Amino acid sequence: MWTYEKRLQFPVNIKNTCPKTASLIISQFGGPDGELAASMRYLSQRYSMPCKEVGGLLTDIGTEELGHLEMICSIIYQLTKNLTIEQAKTAGFDAYYIDHTTALWPMAAGGVPFNACEFQSKGDAITDLVEDLAAEQKARTTYDNLIRIIAEPDVREPLKFLRAREVVHFQRFGEALENIKTTLNPKNYYYYNPEFDKQFVKKEM
Amino acid sequence: MIDQKNLLSQITEISFTVNDLNLYLDTHPLDENALNAFKDAMTQRKQLLQTYADNFEPLTMNCICPDSNNKTKSQTKYPDQRHFTWSDGPLPWEGGAF
Repeated sequence: MWTYEKRLQFPVNIKNTCPKTASLIISQFGGPDGELAASMRYLSQRYSMPCKEVGGLLTDIGTEELGHLEMICSIIYQLTKNLTIEQAKTAGFDAYYIDHTTALWPMAAGGVPFNACEFQSKGDAITDLVEDLAAEQKARTTYDNLIRIIAEPDVREPLKFLRAREVVHFQRFGEALENIKTTLNPKNYYYYNPEFDKQFVKKEM
Repeated sequence: MIDQKNLLSQITEISFTVNDLNLYLDTHPLDENALNAFKDAMTQRKQLLQTYADNFEPLTMNCICPDSNNKTKSQTKYPDQRHFTWSDGPLPWEGGAF
């Protein structure tokens, strides 16, 4: 169950219209390492996670990612809400404008629509947590790339906040992986699938 | 007169503290310092959310009350009618009260 909290996790207040910037940042909505893929990845993986605390962490981080999705969409919305037809024609936003006007639709900066193939839910705790660690780093790299080329402070501040959260999530997933290992045979952590070969996993409370 | 923007900033900050401690405690459930910090931050968050809802729009479902919300009649279509206050106030993606 979820309930909505009627505020952004970090303020987004952008004064200047810039469809070019919006067309780049949209990758963090529906791109390969975006916030939609992040939230769906963690919220899908959690059900079969063999360790209760790790299932809880996936729920909490997946929930925060929904808040990040909302921040990214707010940035794109504010960058384009006062779009003029001249700006729509010239700023690399023309193709998007034809299909979606100024509505939000999840896709990558390169125009590829959002696809569930951007993430995995593999049913193996080690596999999934290593994917999650990589996902946080890939998202951080994408934020690095955006922050490097975007100069507008109104846009940079929320992006810097989101980048920092990727670092924290990476840390927490690393700890979760260590936690899973304590339930496995220390002679070879990677020999079994702890989600499927349950007879080899130490019982936890 | 309560400064709405300032109050919302305080809510954003304390809620971030709660959120970050939540993730830390997910992987360190016995950390005494973190447990105490979480308890203090959560107490403050609840008080601030209540103060905000009393004076402006409710930010969470738990804060909705047609009789006690939005005493300043801020950004509402129904300033002098008993009404469902969930729709009062600005939308977050429009920038909220900041």
